[in-house]
Amino acid sequence: MNFDAVPFPVLYSFILWAIVIGSATSIVLVISLMATIVSVGVRGPLVFANELGAMVGDLISLSPRRIFALAQLTFREAIRRKALMVFVVFAILFMFAGWFMSSSNLAPEFQVKIYVSFVLRAISWLILPVVLLLACWGIPEDIRLRSMHTVVTKPARRLELVIGRMVGYSFVGLIVLAVMSVVGWGWINRQLPVAAQSQLVCRQPIEGGLTFLDREGNPSEKGINVGDIRMFHSFIEGATKARAIWTFNGVGDQSLDREGNLLLENRFQAFRSHKGDMRRSIYFQYTFVNPETNVRVPYPLKTIDEGRGRTDRINRTLVNVGESADGKKYDIVNDLVTKSGQLTVEVACVDPGQYLGMARPDLFVRTADLPFAYGYFKAVACIGMMMLLVIFMGVSVSTFVKGPVATFLVFSVVMVSYTARDFMGKIVGDPFVLAKAREWSGQLDMQKLEGGGVLESIYRILWHMNPTTDLPVGASTTIMKWIDAGLVNFLWLVYRVIPNLDYFGQSMQYVANGFDVRFDACVLPCILTTLAYFGPCVLLGYFALRVRELEAK
Amino acid sequence: MSTTGQPREAVIEIRNLTKIYRDFWGRKKVRAVNALSLDVYKGEVFGLLGPNGSGKTTTLKMLLGLLFPTEGEIKILGQSASDVRKNERIGYLPEESYLYRFLTGEETLDFYGRLFNMSGADRKQRTDELLKLVKVEHARKRQLKEYSKGMTRRIGLAQALINHPDLILLDEPTSGLDPLGSRDMKDLILDLKAQGKTIVMCSHLLADVQDVCDRIAILYGGELKVLGRVDELLKTQNQTQVLSSQLTPAAQAEVEAVLKKHGAQYQVDHPTANLEELFLRTVQESKDRPGRRLIADDPANKV
Repeated sequence: MNFDAVPFPVLYSFILWAIVIGSATSIVLVISLMATIVSVGVRGPLVFANELGAMVGDLISLSPRRIFALAQLTFREAIRRKALMVFVVFAILFMFAGWFMSSSNLAPEFQVKIYVSFVLRAISWLILPVVLLLACWGIPEDIRLRSMHTVVTKPARRLELVIGRMVGYSFVGLIVLAVMSVVGWGWINRQLPVAAQSQLVCRQPIEGGLTFLDREGNPSEKGINVGDIRMFHSFIEGATKARAIWTFNGVGDQSLDREGNLLLENRFQAFRSHKGDMRRSIYFQYTFVNPETNVRVPYPLKTIDEGRGRTDRINRTLVNVGESADGKKYDIVNDLVTKSGQLTVEVACVDPGQYLGMARPDLFVRTADLPFAYGYFKAVACIGMMMLLVIFMGVSVSTFVKGPVATFLVFSVVMVSYTARDFMGKIVGDPFVLAKAREWSGQLDMQKLEGGGVLESIYRILWHMNPTTDLPVGASTTIMKWIDAGLVNFLWLVYRVIPNLDYFGQSMQYVANGFDVRFDACVLPCILTTLAYFGPCVLLGYFALRVRELEAK
Repeated sequence: MSTTGQPREAVIEIRNLTKIYRDFWGRKKVRAVNALSLDVYKGEVFGLLGPNGSGKTTTLKMLLGLLFPTEGEIKILGQSASDVRKNERIGYLPEESYLYRFLTGEETLDFYGRLFNMSGADRKQRTDELLKLVKVEHARKRQLKEYSKGMTRRIGLAQALINHPDLILLDEPTSGLDPLGSRDMKDLILDLKAQGKTIVMCSHLLADVQDVCDRIAILYGGELKVLGRVDELLKTQNQTQVLSSQLTPAAQAEVEAVLKKHGAQYQVDHPTANLEELFLRTVQESKDRPGRRLIADDPANKV
C-alpha cells in the first residue's frame, strides 16, 4: 500500500470535536438570544430561556415508537417512490462490466485489485447519490406538500421527526448496500479469472516500527532520498553498513503458519545507479536479531520482486550462516523473539551501487490469511458509514433549505472534503495535514501557510505591494490584521466542520491490495466520524425545524 | 356565562393576536391577522368565517403552532400553542387532506396512531372503528393516491379523530365532499358535539356553518368583525314566521283576514325545500327503489 496506516488519535480528535461543538453551539446560542431580544424586546431572555427549556424537554421525552413510526414512513416512502430502481443501474453495470475488465496479461494481484476496486467504487458511487437525493429531498417535499402539517400537529417532536427520517433513510441505504455488496462479492468470485482466485485473500499483517542505519552504521530517522519528491520511501545503499530495521511486536507461535514457517512479505523497491547484472534482480538480506540477547542470525540472500513484492517462508529453525557462522541452529520464536514478543529484522542491500527503497508498511509478518469476505465486508461497512454520514448531513441541511440547495450543499461539502480540505488544513495549521504535506513535498520544515489574510492580500494587490514588503504601521493595519485573524479562526471552524473522508476511501485500498481493513486505523475512525456527526446533525435539524414556520412559503 | 350561570370553560383563549408576514429582508408584506381576541368554549361548535385572505386559516395555523404569532398570546387547553404536548388532545383536519399518498388507508391511520404512542391493539381497534365510521372500510388496503377526493377527505377526518381528541380543528371540512358526504360530515360534527367535544371549523360554505355551528366569528382583512351565537345573529326581530301543514283554503283565508284586520304586511306561500334536501331525498329513494325512474315530467321536455 502506498500509505502508512497509523492508529486514529481518538483522544485528540475527541477534544477537537468538543471544542468545535462548543464553539458552534455558543455562536448559535448567542445569535439566537440576540435575535429573540430584537424580536420580542425586554422579554427576550425569558422567552429564550423558555424555548431552551422546551428543547431540553423534547430531548428527554423522545418516544421510540414515534421514531420508529417516522422511520417506517420514510422507508415506505423511499421504497414506493422507486428508490430501488438503483438496482437496475447496478445490474446493468455488472452484466457488462466483465467484458471490459478481463485481462489475463496482468499479474493476479493486479487483476484482484481492479475487480475489487471496481465493485467497491461502483457500490459507493451508486449508493451515495441515491441516499443524498433521498435525504435532501424528503423533509423539503414534506413541507412543500404540507404532509408535515398532519405530523407536527400530533405529539411528534420535531426532534423525533429528524431522527426518524435519518433512521428510515439509513434502513433503506443499508438494505440496498447489503444487497449490492453480496451481489458484488458473488460477482468478484465468479468473474475473477481462475489464475487470480488464489490472490483473493485477506492478509493479516503484523506491522513493525522502522528505523535506519546510515552507510556508516549510525542510527538515522530516514534513509537516503534518491530524488522522489514524495518522501514516503527511504533508500539504503548496497554493500554498506546502511540498514533498515523493523521491530515487530506480538510475534509468537500464533504468528507462524501451519507448517511452522514465519511468513515475511515485502514490497521493496529498487533504485539503480548502474545497470548491474541484468539476469537477476537486486539482492537483499534479512538478519534476525534478538534485541535482549543480541543474537544475530542472517538469512540467505534473496532478490527483490519489483512492483509485485514477495513472500518469504522463513523456517522457524534457522541455521546461522552469516559472517560469524557457527552452524548453530536457532528457533525463531524461542531464541530470536523476546519474552515480550518483540522481533527485530534488519534488511541490508547487498549489491554495491544499488539502492533498496522501503517504507514502514513494506515489510510485515504475514499471519494466517482470513477469507477475502472478511476484509471485503469490513470495507463495505466503511462505505455504509460514509452513507450514514451523507444521510445525517442531508437530512440536517434539508431542514432549513429546499431540496436542490440541500443536495448542492452536501455535495459541495463532500467535494471540498476531497479536494480543498488539505489546503485549508495548511492554512489553519493542522499537524496531521502538515505532516502529510511534508512527506509529499519533501519540505521537512514546512509550517502552516504564512502570509496575509483576505484583507491584507486585497490591500497588497491594490497597492502593488509584494508579500515581503512591510505594511505601514498604524491603526488601519492593526484592524485589518485583526479582522484577518478572525477570518482565519472562522476558517478553522469551517475546516473542522467539514468531515475528513479520507478514512472511508482508504478501506477500499486495503481490500483491493489484499489486506484486512485495519480497525484502529480505518474502521474505528469511520465509526467515530459518523457518530461524531450524528448528534450535531440531529440537533441542527431539530433547531432549524423548531425555529422555522413550517407553513412559510 | 353558560345557561346554568356557571362560567364556561375556555378551551381556546386568543388575546390580541397579530400576524404580519414579512419578506426576506424583514419588511412587512401583509398583516394577515390584526389584534384578534376571542374565546372558544368547551363543548361548542365554533365557526371561523370570512372571505379569502381574511386570516381564518392563518389563525387556525397559529393555534396549531404551524405559524408563530407576531404579537399576542394563544392558550389551547391551558397550554401554549408552541407546546407540543397540547397536541395529545387535539385533532386537526387540514384544508386539503395533506396525507401521505403512498400509504394505504389502513397504514395511514396506523401511522398517526403510532404518533400518539397508541399500542398495537388500540391502533388496530381504532383503525377499524374509524374506517367504518368514515365509510372507507372497503378501500382500506388501497393507497391514498387511488382514493377520490371525497374518500381522501374522509380518511383525513379519520386521522383527526384517531386519538379521541377533546378539541377538533377542521379547515373546510366539507370541501370536496358530495352532498351525501357533506351531510355525513355535518352529522358527525353534531355527533362529536353531543359527545362533549369542542369543534372549531373554518368554512366558506355558509349553509354548512349555519347548520352546525353554535357560535361564529366573521373575519375581514384580518380583523374580527362579528362574534356571537348563530341563532341570535340571524334572528330577524321585526318579522314573525308561522309554519303549518294541512292548512285548508278556508282556514288560510281566515288567517289572512285576521292579519288584514290587524294591519299586518304578510305574504302567503308554500315553503320550498333546499337543494340539499332534494338531493338527499332523491339519493335515498334511489337506494330504496333501484331501477325506478324519478325524473319528474318537465313540460319543457315535451315536443
